[in-house]
Amino acid sequence: MAFLKRLVWVLIALGAAACLGVIATSRGEHINSIWLVLASACSYLVAYRFYGAFIAAKVMALDAKRATPAERLENGHDYVPTNKWIVFGHHFAAIAGPGPLVGPVLAAQFGYLPGTLWIISGAVLGGAIQDFVILFASMRRDGKSLGQMAREEIGKVGGFVSLVTVLLIMIILLAVVALVVVNALAGSPWGTFTIAATMPVAVFMGLYLRYWRPGKVLECSALGFALVIAAVFGGQWIAGSAEWAPVFTLSAMSVAIAVIIYGFLASALPVWLLLAPRDYLSTFVKLGVIGMLALGILAVRPTLEMPAFTKFIDGTGPVFAGKIFPFCFITIACGAVSGFHSLISSGTTPKMIARETHALPVGYGCMLLESFVAIMAMIASCALQPGIYFAVNSPPGLVGKTAAAAATTITGWGFPVGADQMQALAKSVGEVTLFGRTGGAPSLALGMAHIFARGGGGDAVLGFWYHFAIMFEALFILTIIDAGTRVGRFMLQDLLGHIHKPLGRTSWMPGVIGTSAVIVVAWGFFLIQGVRDPLGGINSLWPLFGIANQLLAAIALSVATTIILKMHGPKYMWITCAPLTWLVTVTFSAAWQKIFSPLPRVGFLAQVTALEKGKITPQVATLIFNNQLDAAVCGTFLVLVAIILADSLRLWYGILRGSEEVVVSESPFVLTQLRAEEF
Amino acid sequence: MLRSFLRGVLELLREIGDQNAYARHLKRHGVENSAMEWRRFSDERFRTKYQKAKCC
Repeated sequence: MAFLKRLVWVLIALGAAACLGVIATSRGEHINSIWLVLASACSYLVAYRFYGAFIAAKVMALDAKRATPAERLENGHDYVPTNKWIVFGHHFAAIAGPGPLVGPVLAAQFGYLPGTLWIISGAVLGGAIQDFVILFASMRRDGKSLGQMAREEIGKVGGFVSLVTVLLIMIILLAVVALVVVNALAGSPWGTFTIAATMPVAVFMGLYLRYWRPGKVLECSALGFALVIAAVFGGQWIAGSAEWAPVFTLSAMSVAIAVIIYGFLASALPVWLLLAPRDYLSTFVKLGVIGMLALGILAVRPTLEMPAFTKFIDGTGPVFAGKIFPFCFITIACGAVSGFHSLISSGTTPKMIARETHALPVGYGCMLLESFVAIMAMIASCALQPGIYFAVNSPPGLVGKTAAAAATTITGWGFPVGADQMQALAKSVGEVTLFGRTGGAPSLALGMAHIFARGGGGDAVLGFWYHFAIMFEALFILTIIDAGTRVGRFMLQDLLGHIHKPLGRTSWMPGVIGTSAVIVVAWGFFLIQGVRDPLGGINSLWPLFGIANQLLAAIALSVATTIILKMHGPKYMWITCAPLTWLVTVTFSAAWQKIFSPLPRVGFLAQVTALEKGKITPQVATLIFNNQLDAAVCGTFLVLVAIILADSLRLWYGILRGSEEVVVSESPFVLTQLRAEEF
Repeated sequence: MLRSFLRGVLELLREIGDQNAYARHLKRHGVENSAMEWRRFSDERFRTKYQKAKCC
């Protein structure tokens, strides 16, 4: 039996190596996407079984007999011992956002290979490690947050810096995901109607739950889902109506303003009316669509039309500017390493874990699954013909404002595409045009629609699936926007409450409205900046978001390294220090280039210099200010993380020299009273 | 096996949809389901739930 087991694992490891070998060495021919599926799945299995298990046993010494906070502090509310697979699903639903879907689509401009290798290796050696160690650390500290652990393990500076960093990252995050939605809905009456319809649907669900069928969340969500599907069909009718189509055909600026107003209302309105029902619905739809995409890819096994590498590894890419190093590694954050996950791993999840040993599947395993979602997004975008991919994702300011000019430019790059071909494709999905639909969401929706349509129905259902995918992406992005605005409001109220007490009260309406407005204006400013940017806002905002997210991961890995160092001395430091070193190298290089690169498409300050050489109109003056602000935000991130890194290094040096007292602030051991069969 | 898998999926959906938490709340307080009780439970639940950032 033991021999058979070993044989199976040897075969899986060989399978991983062989599949990685195929995708890494194939040149000049199209490969089937199943190679990516097998390479990633086998790599994850080996990593989970050996690397994850090694860390669980040797570094963390997870103990099934040790009572977890969920058991010791059980209150039936936050602290609840929960079945392993339910915590797994809960944690996965919490960490899976638009990041692992959009990032790989944007990074596909380098070809399928760089992004794929980074997604697999980044998750196995970095992202999953971060999530797992932070979950473990929080679980051993009664479910404390990352900020609390940073303060206690590193020092007061660390705690404060992580709080400010989170607030800044959230503002950039909200702006960039809002921009993805704006670019997907601008000029699309079908999409705009569908998304607009989800708002009354959410309000209906809120009223249904509050007054008519209290507590029946699944029933209510099923009803809401049926109504949203009806809205997708209704959108097709709207798009074809001479009377209604113009009403729902909005410019990018109009959609941006609508999203900003929505963010404000959702933050200020009672949470049960709009935010909570939308959140339930979007979480269920998200899990369902991810499952459908996995089944679709396995059933259809599309061929990757994108080459392994494109010419844009030299940094001249139209989707975003910058070379493969460091920009591929910050563009794909959430599918490989995401600092935001550390907030979830030190939030709800550690309070639900019934057995310490469950931290391995939940912490390490969930990140591997999220990484697999990123692989699926990469497959969906690379299954498109490269010409179509670049036509959709290139800003008009770069490739030409007319369809003919854009098609000529993109064909000139060696990716043939015709204006007629794009027109026919746009017609088949019920859009006026697909040129210049930057942001990643439309090209992902196209890829997903092709996969679903090939699974049954063919071109006749392409339009439905395209708008279904847009609805799915916009639905949970808007949930992030309304929840994020609300969280930002709470953080700000908390801060301002120290200055003027009523401002801190969440029930004082002037305070609620004022702080909501401040947060909305903050991310709305960056959103409008992105909409106005002639190079496409994604070019400047997505790298900024990627840098910020990875810097938060650097903070989390600093905390994780400190904890491991205090537990074992330097013996196992490399486990978190290696990904930390990589992330610091990548993010500091990227941030430096974004500020100081002499190339105007890459460096914010070079862009300022280039703009100053021309005629300074009010519009140009705004662009100059925006670039200066982006440079300042990027610089602020660098300084904040440099502070926490310096503080960590000082502490580590002290511990290694013996001059710093080692205090492991774990909760004391308590024997579990839970029976194994319960969980 | 399929039945147990589907049961697991349903349990997960009930947990994500807060239905299990609501059932625990009713049991702990020894009360029946009602609009007032759901309001009491969900107001507290949403207050803590939406003070935390959602992941990207």
